[in-house]
Amino acid sequence: MPDVRMAAYVHSKGVSWEVKNDTLMPSDRLRQDRSESPTPGLVEGTEPGAGQEGAMFVHAQSFEDLTADSEPNTDNKSAEVDDAQEEALEEGDEEEHLESEQEEKGKEELKNSNKAKEEDVTSETWRSHRKHVFVLSEAGKPIYTRYGTEEALSSIMGVMMLLMSFVEDKKNIIRSIHADGYRVVFLRKTPLILVGVSRTSCSDRELTRELQYVYFQIVSLLTLTQLNHVFQHRQSYDLRRLLAGSEHLTDNLLRLLDRDPGLLLSAVMCLPLANSARDVVSSSLQAAKAKNLVFSILLAGNRLVTLVRKKDQFLHHMDLHLLFNLVGSSSSFREGEGWTPICLPKFNPAGFFHAHISYLEPASDLCLILVSTDREDFFNLSDCKKRFLERLRRRSAYQSLQEALNTPSYSLSQVGIPELRHFVYKSKSSGLYTSPDLPALYEGGEEQERLMGLYQHLHSCLHHPTRPLRCIYRCTDTENLYALVTSGFELYLCFSPLGTKSLAVSAVNRLLKWIRKEEDRLFILSPLTY
Amino acid sequence: MDTLWQYQFRIILLGDSTVGKSSLLKRFTDGIYSDVADPTVGVDFYARSIDIEPGVKIKLQLWDTAGQERFRSITTSYYRNSVGGLLVFDLTNRKTFDHVREWHREVSEHILPHHMVYILIGHKSDLSRDRKVTRDEAEQLAADLGIRYVETSAKCNSNVERAFELLTRDIYELMKMGEISTRDGWDGVKSGLTAKVLYPAEEEAEREKSCNC
Repeated sequence: MPDVRMAAYVHSKGVSWEVKNDTLMPSDRLRQDRSESPTPGLVEGTEPGAGQEGAMFVHAQSFEDLTADSEPNTDNKSAEVDDAQEEALEEGDEEEHLESEQEEKGKEELKNSNKAKEEDVTSETWRSHRKHVFVLSEAGKPIYTRYGTEEALSSIMGVMMLLMSFVEDKKNIIRSIHADGYRVVFLRKTPLILVGVSRTSCSDRELTRELQYVYFQIVSLLTLTQLNHVFQHRQSYDLRRLLAGSEHLTDNLLRLLDRDPGLLLSAVMCLPLANSARDVVSSSLQAAKAKNLVFSILLAGNRLVTLVRKKDQFLHHMDLHLLFNLVGSSSSFREGEGWTPICLPKFNPAGFFHAHISYLEPASDLCLILVSTDREDFFNLSDCKKRFLERLRRRSAYQSLQEALNTPSYSLSQVGIPELRHFVYKSKSSGLYTSPDLPALYEGGEEQERLMGLYQHLHSCLHHPTRPLRCIYRCTDTENLYALVTSGFELYLCFSPLGTKSLAVSAVNRLLKWIRKEEDRLFILSPLTY
Repeated sequence: MDTLWQYQFRIILLGDSTVGKSSLLKRFTDGIYSDVADPTVGVDFYARSIDIEPGVKIKLQLWDTAGQERFRSITTSYYRNSVGGLLVFDLTNRKTFDHVREWHREVSEHILPHHMVYILIGHKSDLSRDRKVTRDEAEQLAADLGIRYVETSAKCNSNVERAFELLTRDIYELMKMGEISTRDGWDGVKSGLTAKVLYPAEEEAEREKSCNC
């Protein structure tokens, strides 16, 4: 029944196209081709938001590509480590007093002045965080902690390393520990060990995915080549020397992981913009090219305006998220022109690109990132930016961009579906997603994270490694949720508690119709290359 | 191309992370104080012109560098193409002063057999109660290195303009004395207006350049 209704909608839309505007026949023909599909909107490549030509991104499965290294956990393994945990904790207690004094004297220089960093790791405040992340070297040296200082936690990190080694001595691998409402997830990415602790409803898989992002953030700063080299040269090397000044990048990345659905979905959101204006911006970037330029990316805050890439080169979502994180975390790019080495780990973990990063104007949120293979390319790329700006102004596109920035999102009221509070829609083939403003109910940081946690839960059910689902409907005290995944898209919806399941099912069809109608504005349908 | 300047000098800011290089530079180029919270990533590029004599305009290209160790590979490549360097330390942080000699040695060795014109900057002079380095010992270090010393504050806009002017003037004087000159393949000093009048070959080279891009 829903399929028939969907077909009817598409058909009538086709008719209205014919009536309204004959000059749109070519795209109308394309639309008709889509609507002839047996299950319109469901087949990959024909769903709302699908680009008409090649995708801009590596086509990534939402989840598996990032966690391909992981294996499913078994209760057996977590049971085994219970004894080891008790034994190791006793040793830890003995070491703690002695080591903390030594560490604090010797490592004063490396102390960070960040507030969260100065938390007392023996306090209840520190213990009551919903999540913790720790990074240490395989030699047990502390590298990063989300809260507190690394030196204050060196003995605890030693325990983590010991737990891992202890289990591995028995030809086994520690994946996670579940106890007393907490889960502790371990990830070895030689030469690093990452540990996530959570007392949320986050699954082991989700925590592992977050640790993967932290790992790739570190690789992005150093390259895997350099990371391996420093530890081969000296196993007890203090990596904080090389990572100094980057703690805020990892802190911000973890905040994004808690709040931005794009990282969960391996997708990015576009600035809503009339496609005629977007085409002008894209072609202006395309024209302002240089020999060694690989990617030209225009961002508006945390939204993508457009991305132009060198033919046959594709950018992975994770690499783009790392670029977003770099720009969003650093106020230093706002004036002047930045030039920095950056590794895009999914593209090539072994070497650096160099990125020219600058805002179109100091007061604007429009940030241009030009990625080159040549470390001496600064002035060429500076010239590319100038040519891009000149072209934008000549074609009166700059004004359109500024106006679009005034409405960087849209309200759910535009969609007009009763009881629907929020949704996240991802087009698989384009790697882009769309989502309206959060309603007032979820605007606070905690409520936003709670909603995101609910979506994360649905996501992990849909993408379960052994028992994946096609759709799931879940009721809580405060909202009802519906999520579904097809070969073409993923959709997550949040309804008021008054919503019913049948309402949710019918809402999907109405929402897909609306997204189809708006796709020109919400997605990049015609990506360009140079 | 902008031809309203006689010469272009490339100048680099050097010193430990958090001494305030970025605040100093932004005060000079934008005239505003910004309490920069985030560390510089890689290098940042700014430009500003300065009149050092009636009829003599110098365009400064200014590189703000990240002080962290992981960026050393990229920042060192900009030493070679700079004619002047500001060696910046934080008056309230003794260690940053102790590291000035290392910065001076590292850069000077990197650009041999050529030389850079330096000025020593004691920054954050507004924080006099937290001062850890006396003017005397800073002036002694500057004398040892054979360079000028200026104390600055980006927050109070104290001596900022003067520091850059002094360095620019020193470079200009050395140029007039023939101790510094333009070189092929070197961007530290470039001629501007005079190129069109006196060096047609260079003009041709510039046209070639624009064709490449």
